[in-house]
Amino acid sequence: MVGLSIGETNFIRGGIAQDLRCDGRKRLSYRPINVETGVIPQAELGRPSSSRPDHGKVSIHVDCSATAAPMYQGKGGEELSSELALALQRGLLGSKSGAGAGIDLSSLCIVEGKTCWDLYIDCLVLSSDGNLLDALGAGIKAALSDTGVPRVQVMAADASSSSDQPEIDVSDEEFLQFDTSAVPVIITLTKVGRHYIVDATAEEESQMSSAISISVNRQGHICGLTKRGGAGLDPSIIHDMISVAKHVSEQFLNKLDSEIAAAQARQEES
Amino acid sequence: MEFVSPEGLRLDGRRPLEMRQLRAEIGSISKADGSAVFEMGNTKVIAAVYGPREVENKSQQISDKALVRCEYTMANFSTGDRVRKPKGDRRSTEISMVIRQTMESCILLEKFPGSQIDIFVQVLQADGGTRSACINAATLALADAGIPMRDLVTSCSAGYLNSTPLLDLNYVEDSAGGPDVTVGLLSKMDKVTLLQMDSKLPIDIFENVMQLAIEGCKAVANYIREILLENTKQLEYRRGK
Repeated sequence: MVGLSIGETNFIRGGIAQDLRCDGRKRLSYRPINVETGVIPQAELGRPSSSRPDHGKVSIHVDCSATAAPMYQGKGGEELSSELALALQRGLLGSKSGAGAGIDLSSLCIVEGKTCWDLYIDCLVLSSDGNLLDALGAGIKAALSDTGVPRVQVMAADASSSSDQPEIDVSDEEFLQFDTSAVPVIITLTKVGRHYIVDATAEEESQMSSAISISVNRQGHICGLTKRGGAGLDPSIIHDMISVAKHVSEQFLNKLDSEIAAAQARQEES
Repeated sequence: MEFVSPEGLRLDGRRPLEMRQLRAEIGSISKADGSAVFEMGNTKVIAAVYGPREVENKSQQISDKALVRCEYTMANFSTGDRVRKPKGDRRSTEISMVIRQTMESCILLEKFPGSQIDIFVQVLQADGGTRSACINAATLALADAGIPMRDLVTSCSAGYLNSTPLLDLNYVEDSAGGPDVTVGLLSKMDKVTLLQMDSKLPIDIFENVMQLAIEGCKAVANYIREILLENTKQLEYRRGK
């Protein structure tokens, strides 16, 4: 990955201890965010699972393109992609039964128990310089805000019809915008030495002892948590990291929402 | 089905000899040695070049020239129906090989013996002509990486539907079942490095269609040259000349 000399590692660690990182940022500030809307997640008609008949289904898939790093070519990126996809699912979708999901699945339901929308979210990593989870989470939120679910009309089911699937008329014209105000965002706190930083670059990530990725929504509720890295963490430190993440998430959410709104305005203009 | 209307317009409103709109951008992936995004109409691909660098697999090392590796992948969401397996399927393997052979013919491999040049092409949106867009993007990315080349390789496709030769087919025209001729051209030297065709064509019409594709390649080469010139001016400007 990144080969760093001892001098460089000392520089990174020392800098973080003094609240000054390699690119001049403070420990808790993010790199500039650029949002461009245009990629549409695909939605297909499908059957809801039996345990949650009034909810739709969402499936998240991540692919690490070889353009991000040569080692991702062929099967190389699969481990990282599955790890990222699972972390995203944990953060955004809640448990297997669908309870407590960050994304509102009931808006995807068409006919209870029979038909629902199957939303596929496909993420593609083109260029990677650390902090992939946060970027993917922000990207998913932006993409969902751009998603339109076609308006669907259900024809009255014929009493004599033996088919299990009711007749559905999918409109090509009208779209319902997906409501993303409740979608959580993922904040990753990387612990280097005795301090934690937010939005680590690839070099800083190579120095980390452990990292916690917390999915927080607008109300400040935690929707999911993933701890990565081998080093053990004292529970009080985890508690502290969670409160720091909640504090950072407010600023991040505001910035992200304004970027998404600006991107949509740009799209409407063109 | 009618692909060319009686007024001479195709399904997307183009004339038979008109190419789709081209758009290119250099240097999108900062981590790669060279990268480029290339768009032909709705087809959008991104190419990244890593190299020349040390060979990963010593057994594949060639002592007197560089080893070129290429991988072509399509994103899940690039086509209308979601593609299940983005890498490793037979079509991707074939196109990877085709792109590799085309680029090998134009890179000056003898300058970097014992090293490796990786070209990764990712299709973001597929609307026909992905092969050509990938080759054009790879040429731009190699130029951005500063790898010496004999000439600019460009590629374009042409077909023959409703008794009319058509330049730069999109997906609907490509899947119509008519012939599809893809040409890769060394633009200044005027030599053909890639030639593929499916379906069948009488020989005299084939020559017309191939000539049309070659003209398309030359038009793409002009566009690529403009983009590279513009990019160099920007670099000079940033250096403070």
